[in-house]
Amino acid sequence: MTQSIVSLRDVRRDYALGAERVHALQGVTLDVERGDYVAIVGPSGCGKSTLLNLIGVIDHPTSGTVEIAGKRVDAMTDREATSFRLHNIGFVFQRFYLMPILSALENVALPMAEAKVQRQERQERAAKLLAYVGLANRERHRPSELSGGEQQRVAIARALANGPSLLLADEPTGELDARTGAEIISLFQRLNGDGTTILVVTHDEDLASAARRKIHMRDGRVVDGA
Amino acid sequence: MLVFVLASSLLLQGTSPPPQAPPGRLRTIAIDEAFAARANLKPGDTVTVSSRADTVASARGAGGRAPGPDAERVIIGAIVRRGADPSEVARGDLRVRMHLDQLQHVSGYGDRVDRFAIATGPSTDIDGTIERINRPAFGFKAYRSRDIAVETSRTFQVVSRFHRAIGVITIVASSVFLLCIMVLKVEERRRDIAALRLMGISRSSVVRSIIIESALVAVLGSLLGVVLGWAASLLVNSHYQAVYSTPLEFSIVTTPVVAFAVSLSLLLGIGAGLLASLRLVRTPPLELFGR
Amino acid sequence: MLGVAIAAAMLLDMVMLATGMRESFRRLLVSRGFELRLAPKGTLPFDTDATIPGVAAITSIMRSNPDIREISPVLGASIHIPVGNRDVSGSVLGVDPSVQGDYELLSGRDPLSADAIVVNDYLLQQLGARVGDTLSVATGYDPQTRTYSGRRTLVITGRVRFIYGANEQSSAAMRRETLEAMRGGDMRDRASLFMVRVREGADAERVRDWIETQIPNVTAISIATAIAQVDARLSYFRQLAVILGAVSLFVGFLLVTTLVTVSVNERAGEIAVMRAIGVSKAHVVQQIVLEGVAISFAGAVLGLGLGLVTARYLNTILSAFPGLPMAIDFFLFQPKAAWSALALLIVSGIGAGVYPAWRAASLPIAESLRREAIA
Repeated sequence: MTQSIVSLRDVRRDYALGAERVHALQGVTLDVERGDYVAIVGPSGCGKSTLLNLIGVIDHPTSGTVEIAGKRVDAMTDREATSFRLHNIGFVFQRFYLMPILSALENVALPMAEAKVQRQERQERAAKLLAYVGLANRERHRPSELSGGEQQRVAIARALANGPSLLLADEPTGELDARTGAEIISLFQRLNGDGTTILVVTHDEDLASAARRKIHMRDGRVVDGA
Repeated sequence: MLVFVLASSLLLQGTSPPPQAPPGRLRTIAIDEAFAARANLKPGDTVTVSSRADTVASARGAGGRAPGPDAERVIIGAIVRRGADPSEVARGDLRVRMHLDQLQHVSGYGDRVDRFAIATGPSTDIDGTIERINRPAFGFKAYRSRDIAVETSRTFQVVSRFHRAIGVITIVASSVFLLCIMVLKVEERRRDIAALRLMGISRSSVVRSIIIESALVAVLGSLLGVVLGWAASLLVNSHYQAVYSTPLEFSIVTTPVVAFAVSLSLLLGIGAGLLASLRLVRTPPLELFGR
Repeated sequence: MLGVAIAAAMLLDMVMLATGMRESFRRLLVSRGFELRLAPKGTLPFDTDATIPGVAAITSIMRSNPDIREISPVLGASIHIPVGNRDVSGSVLGVDPSVQGDYELLSGRDPLSADAIVVNDYLLQQLGARVGDTLSVATGYDPQTRTYSGRRTLVITGRVRFIYGANEQSSAAMRRETLEAMRGGDMRDRASLFMVRVREGADAERVRDWIETQIPNVTAISIATAIAQVDARLSYFRQLAVILGAVSLFVGFLLVTTLVTVSVNERAGEIAVMRAIGVSKAHVVQQIVLEGVAISFAGAVLGLGLGLVTARYLNTILSAFPGLPMAIDFFLFQPKAAWSALALLIVSGIGAGVYPAWRAASLPIAESLRREAIA
């Protein structure tokens, strides 16, 4: 039996929006196996990003349990959650969010610095990661000197900095044109082929099709693929 | 302790000395509040006044040495409040008022004074009077009080200039601060401005709305500032009046001052809003979005 | 940055004002090494026209104290020197040139002989004279009879700078005996002031107390007392300095807070991502606070130059105080003042950055990201 790296049981997430109460997730139960490549799809407002945030331990469920890599994460303190994210989860966002004053190499090295990796080692690992994503010759460039696709690849390298069990991506091709998006899609496939578990939230049909499994959501519920 | 005499207004008459008190009866002097507090004296206390330090002794009622030839036993008759003279502030002098002949006797000055203060009638030709006095004057000269005041108020003039300089620096500094903050605040809303421009709202409409907002903020801010300034002025006066034991008003909030402050802050607020908004409307809207 | 620099400049100026007068005055007083000054009872040196009688007797009493090394009696008076059809007037000090502490010889010689006089540059200018010229000097003017008590022909033997001299003051010095003789009977054996130098290692305050006991018609003033008395007279400026300094610091603080808050608001998404990738709250706050400190530091450096220029300008205004020694500076630059101002700014920069930083780092990550996505 393959081990679940992500395990959600009857997870609900409500929050207040003005005077109203929004039920972003309404009793979601799902498992993701180690090495899987899952695309979470659905219309806007269906709760995809909320689900990703809960799995990424940057949000807490209103009720239910969330287990990542065998650890209960739904009731972690802020400090525990931060440390868990640093060592176990890699994030890729739609808008890249690289630090504008740091070079590509320094951006990738940032999570390693936080994890107290020695300078020499983190520079070597960062260089290796940039080479892996095809940006060996762009180490010293600042984000403003890189194209959108290059920036996203730096962001992916950064997400892999501390060797996470899980890579989460929220609309990673949202700001990219089709050709650049395709490059990112193929990078994800390569990553998954090398053993990285990937969960991606997307509207991009091509990206969703490249995944091995699709989870459909609507109105805060998983309707297919759980 | 310095013993001064403040000659009260005398009309220029003869030079005959006023009558002495009957023998055995002590005459009175007046002292200022600071003196009374420092020496713990009150009306009715008897003291000895002398110009020589070695004969001074304070006697209350019975007891105390008999005063020497240049000294006199007197009674504290009154405690007076000093006038608001800025040149006296912080000097820490203590003042005594005595009868002229008393001080002449005690100081050994004889039949001399430092000056005469002359009050004239309402229709007196002052310059003519001065000229008539100076012509035969032997050993003294007449001046207008106003001219003397200017000469002796150099200290005050220096302090005034200093205050003015500090005031100018403060205004310049405040202007820069205000400009900085306005620019920052308008910059913060650049995405909103960009969205408005993309919607088709004209540059002038955007600038106008920001200026109106800046003007409102400036008016409200300056009103609050006036209230704060007035309260601070009260505080400053009460503090320094207590410290220097003077009724002098160190800070006065007048209508022209308020009007100046409000006008200036309004001008600066509108100016800052204008500068900041012009900067933004000149930038293409998409650039403001960060694309 | 300019705003912070101006706040820094004002703060530096106020710190200089708060400490400058006292230090400047202290330096002036210790410059010639006379630790004590004796003035007529109840007065400050040259505050009034009063004089101390019995110079010889007082000197003899003081010589009996082994802790007293040198005694310099000084007599002050006014002089009048005819030049053409006008009179130039000034002040003169009668001193003992071998122990005087009132002037510094710039050129020429001390007034060693009875017919010698030394003058300052301002008086030389007024007279249109040079060292070596002869002057007819009168003193002891009686306004009643419009006559002088004494007039002598004196030779300018030297050019001097009076240490306690005020701006644009015509001053001269001669032997005390010469001045006494010119003043006549009423000034014989009298002095306006005694300057006293104590033995090395002696306690100046103890000597001061001894003098006041032995010589009751004088007030003995130590350097500390003199400073305290001048401090009291000029306390207004110190208080003003404290108030304006505090206001400058507060405004600088507000400015840095605003700068940091705006910067943090602009970077809400970036901050949320830093937290998302595992950077701790403390590190995020640290980063932002460091930015606040950097702004304060840069502002302080810029403000240093601005502050010095402004201080010089303000000092020029206050130097016109009547009767104030030229050597007194209200705004004195001391490295300590600069460091104090810098330290205050840095601390305020830290304080200004902490709150907005903490707030930003504590925002729920998911909500910030959602807001950024919408924006």
